[in-house]
Amino acid sequence: MDLTLEQRQLLFTNLTRADVYNQMMYRRMMQGKLIGFYHPAEGGIAPGVGACTFLNQDDNLSPHHRGHGIAHMLCKGIDIKYYLAEHTGKVTGCCKGRSAFHFSFPDHKVYLMSGFIGYNFAPVVGWGWAAKRRAKAQVVMNCSGDGSYGQGRAHEALLMAQNWKLPIIFFCENNGMSIFSTATEMHPMPDIASLADGFGMPSKIVDGQNVFEVAEACLDAIDRARRGDGPTFIEAKTLRFKEHDIGTPDLSGWTERTEQELAQLQERDPVKVATDIVLAEQWLTQDEIEAIRESALKEVAQVEAFADESEIARPPVDELLRAVFAD
Amino acid sequence: MMTARTITFIDAIQEAISEEMRADDRVFVVGQDVRGAIFPHTAGLVEEFGPERIVDTPIAESGMYGVAFGAAQEGLRPICDFMFGGFTYVTFSEASVTTGQYHFLHGSQRSLPLVITAGVGTGQRLANDHAMSIHGTFAHHPGIKVAMPSTPYDAKGMFKAAIRDNNPVVIPWHMGIMMLKGEVPDLSEDYVVPLGLADVKRAGTDVTVLANSLQLQHALRVAEKLEPEISVEVIDPRSFVPFDLDTVLDSLSKTNRLVVVDEDWESGGFAATVSARVMEQGFDLLDAPVLRVTIPNMPVPGGYMEEYVAPNPERIEAAIRQVCA
Repeated sequence: MDLTLEQRQLLFTNLTRADVYNQMMYRRMMQGKLIGFYHPAEGGIAPGVGACTFLNQDDNLSPHHRGHGIAHMLCKGIDIKYYLAEHTGKVTGCCKGRSAFHFSFPDHKVYLMSGFIGYNFAPVVGWGWAAKRRAKAQVVMNCSGDGSYGQGRAHEALLMAQNWKLPIIFFCENNGMSIFSTATEMHPMPDIASLADGFGMPSKIVDGQNVFEVAEACLDAIDRARRGDGPTFIEAKTLRFKEHDIGTPDLSGWTERTEQELAQLQERDPVKVATDIVLAEQWLTQDEIEAIRESALKEVAQVEAFADESEIARPPVDELLRAVFAD
Repeated sequence: MMTARTITFIDAIQEAISEEMRADDRVFVVGQDVRGAIFPHTAGLVEEFGPERIVDTPIAESGMYGVAFGAAQEGLRPICDFMFGGFTYVTFSEASVTTGQYHFLHGSQRSLPLVITAGVGTGQRLANDHAMSIHGTFAHHPGIKVAMPSTPYDAKGMFKAAIRDNNPVVIPWHMGIMMLKGEVPDLSEDYVVPLGLADVKRAGTDVTVLANSLQLQHALRVAEKLEPEISVEVIDPRSFVPFDLDTVLDSLSKTNRLVVVDEDWESGGFAATVSARVMEQGFDLLDAPVLRVTIPNMPVPGGYMEEYVAPNPERIEAAIRQVCA
């Protein structure tokens, strides 16, 4: 599907925002201003932006754990300040400061996170099943990495989605690495998308460094799902510039990734790729690009201020016990 | 009860499910071969409600449970039928961890109204994976209500309460009492048995026996037999989470002796929890140590060993005599 100029500009804006948010998270982790851990998204922010910028509020989304889903959620219209407050253990957090890094924005149909990679594959089947039953053209965007497709539950979800023609987009952000292990070692086929073939599910492989290419493929898949024609598998080939999570060594297998290797990857920085395109195609001017970044920096500063100024959540145990069950 | 009928335990469950499905369009059943009714509690449902609400999945428990888990987040009220309780272990990370933490860890924003059910228990000589209990294991995971009925009346009322509850409820049913008959109210009478309430099934004064499902039937039989010499009060916990400790403590204030019968392993089970709580909160009421009748810590054997390894009337009687000695 061809994108409009306005859509392209929005994608570039969201990519810039995602980039600035991700850098902020990395910096705060290094400053000791985040609770738990952070899995940096440098190099891999374009897929989430392309997949989520054009979702509706009532579409379901399971964000990728990398970058803690921030790119995905902000593109869906979620105010990240409540997530940062959560990630700093504050009372204003989306989960009342109880969850460290878990997100939950049920009004935007981002229901849950779990620390188990591949957890998403069970609930997305239920969301898709409910969406089909409701028949209001709601779709499910299911984002996760190449590593998650090792889970049996991933295969179960593909099976059921295709059996029932559920409106699910299986969006695989393949950065070629799960912690230290490489996708080429952990999967027998070069493309994770080839899994879809076994279920007769249509699939597409896109350049995950090119946000516009990702968005075009996702819009096609979203349209297909909204029409009731069933699931699509999209594999975005992307990259990881940093270590798996801040503090672990940056290994490939059991040896350090080299500066040279990383420098080569960084040639394909998604912001650089997008900037080259928007300038060459004259979708945006250099001044406009700088203004977009300025605005993103201001936005993130406000988000940080909100989190920093909120109180630490330390409710008494009896109050927590009362929160275990719903009324 | 205005007017009563006599029906089987499994038919009582079927009535509860079908009545709740009639009353609330959001309720549906998902499982494997629930349409064809591998157990009779889903018999006739697909004919009435159609395959859109009586949903069979491939043999893929995570995906199957995913239908329930995700649909509950979307505002539906699923009943996920695992056929046998042991099969919940195939997707235990979803069914216990992710389910139990959903409400609490995400800031108590949304509830998760779903029911997990399955046949459990010894008596069929099926061995560990088909015979193991699951109530104790689920009860270990916070955020999930766990209950198990022992009579047709309770089965119907508790399944209705579970379906109407806004929390995840694990409500297994014991295969050993599937055909047990008992009185239930007339079809026109809508009733529930609230979760979290124990029930004194037989009054007595010398010793309290806490027992559930098949073991409740065993305990009642033993109580009857011992009546001339020992007066046994038999309490059915009915719910494990939340657990009605008050009813047990009230009983102990009269009997001062407690035997907990639990068809689960000795280590780390419900019986151990009850024993510890009674010691902590009712120590002064006790004239003797709490005794437990449980499954020794071995995988449940099948064949003819099951009948003497699992709790049985002989072991319950021996424990009662020991605690009263």
